[in-house]
Amino acid sequence: MAELTLFHYIAKKTLIHGMDGRIKLICMILFTMAVGFSQKGLDLAVLTAVLLMVYMAAGLSIKRLMTEIRYFLVLIGIIVVAHSFTIPGTAIPGLPVQGMTWEGLRSGLLFGWRLMLMLIIGNIMTGTTSFSLFKNVVEWFLRPVPFIPAARVAMMFSLTLVLIPAIFDQASEMLDAQKARCIDGRKNPIARISFLAGPLLFHTFMRADEIVQAMESRCYSEVRTPTAFQTTPTDWLLLGFTVAACLMVLLI
Amino acid sequence: MAILEIRHLTHIFPNGTIALNDINLSVEAGEFVVIAGANGSGKTALLRHLNGLLRPTSGEVLLEGVPIAKDLTRARRKIGLIFQNSDNQIVGQTVSEDVAFGPENLNLSREEVDRLVKEILEAVGLSDLACRQPHTLSGGQKKRLAVAGVLAMRPQIIAFDEPFVALDYQGVLQVLSQIVDLHRKGHTILVVTHDLEKVLAHATRLIIMEKGRIVRDGDPARLIGDVETYGIKKPSGESVETMTWLS
Ligand SMILES: Nc1ncnc2c1ncn2[C@@H]1O[C@H](COP(=O)(O)OP(=O)(O)OP(=O)(O)O)[C@@H](O)[C@H]1O
Ligand SMILES: [Mg+2]
Repeated sequence: MAELTLFHYIAKKTLIHGMDGRIKLICMILFTMAVGFSQKGLDLAVLTAVLLMVYMAAGLSIKRLMTEIRYFLVLIGIIVVAHSFTIPGTAIPGLPVQGMTWEGLRSGLLFGWRLMLMLIIGNIMTGTTSFSLFKNVVEWFLRPVPFIPAARVAMMFSLTLVLIPAIFDQASEMLDAQKARCIDGRKNPIARISFLAGPLLFHTFMRADEIVQAMESRCYSEVRTPTAFQTTPTDWLLLGFTVAACLMVLLI
Repeated sequence: MAILEIRHLTHIFPNGTIALNDINLSVEAGEFVVIAGANGSGKTALLRHLNGLLRPTSGEVLLEGVPIAKDLTRARRKIGLIFQNSDNQIVGQTVSEDVAFGPENLNLSREEVDRLVKEILEAVGLSDLACRQPHTLSGGQKKRLAVAGVLAMRPQIIAFDEPFVALDYQGVLQVLSQIVDLHRKGHTILVVTHDLEKVLAHATRLIIMEKGRIVRDGDPARLIGDVETYGIKKPSGESVETMTWLS
């Protein structure tokens, strides 16, 4: 079964899991902004401490974090190097290569650090919020926005999530079937792709068509029972904590 | 009065295929109808007319004496359709969310939706899997989830399109006993299948289709001798009572 390995939802019962999804999203946005606006290493250090605390409170393991962001570490490395070479300033002496500057290194490291923190925030959000809850939260925020049919957007969102693994499955099955008929014997990559893409597209459309029929036969309507959210005092407390932490970092 | 009545129903697809040709049929409440026929005889097309997924080229379908075209939502609530491929019928990201889909469409109150979902998951034995993602279920469980999704609409008639296809032995038993149970609880049941040996013993009526027409219609015991004429495998054994996988 095709699954996204990055940013998995981990079903657990923790404080963070149990939060009202709307408040959680607001908190995460606040943290993201605080991370984005902070300029000093000290600010980032405070945020790192706070976020790691939240991360632990959410029952997510640091080991998991490392495996999930290992690909990004490469990216961060590239960013640090690129910054070091492109930002003017005093050169770092005693290196075999010329042209790296202290200012560049500092800015690269800060940038990389911010990126890491944003990954952690994203990880907390997705690790503790199921796709369907996330969808409902987005729908709730869209509800008052005029000209955006929130119910339809939410439905499209979740249908996409239903269809994607199905399409991956279909693709891998078709690929296997074609391999069994020696598609490897063909060297032309365009031909090979078209043998896969054509039928895959066709099946996806057929399938989408049938899903639409199934939805219709279950009385699909955009006037539907709204999702119920429950906000507890804990949610407000956590929101207060987030606001305080972010303000502290930004103002001091 | 018949709960379901089909009058002179003809369906011609845009490419000219005559899928249904002057179908007349009336079903009483509480019947258990098995519809059999060779591939392409029009069984799926017939089911899709029952709740207005296909519109007749001519003729009409009446539910409790009222043409379904007058109020499609009512028809879709009262006639539940279980598709052949349950994968395509499941739209929720979790089991309980999928069951809630129908009631939410009917805009029932949140409490009512939650109560229905709980009750129905219990009834079909999927309570323990309520939070699972549907694509991680087995074939039989998916089929039961599809049934649960339809039951949440409180239908009177439940129509199954090839319910046993792609199920293993256990899966067939689970789904079959569910169908029999629903019939016992008073639902009117329509089952489209080639596998007479799995279910015919429970049927009160057998309908055989060929090339878009109903060619035989009546008591299973009386018709069982003729089925091979229409390209349907006759189960071994003479007595219809033995034609079930339930023991
Ligand atoms: N979308 C379509 N466009 C054109 N013809 C179609 C379409 N869908 C079905 N048909 C044709 O209509 C006829 C009846 O199809 P239907 O799917 O009802 O058969 P069936 O009895 O369910 O067969 P099976 O046992 O294979 O499921 C067939 O000849 C089929 O080729
Ligand atoms: Mg069919």
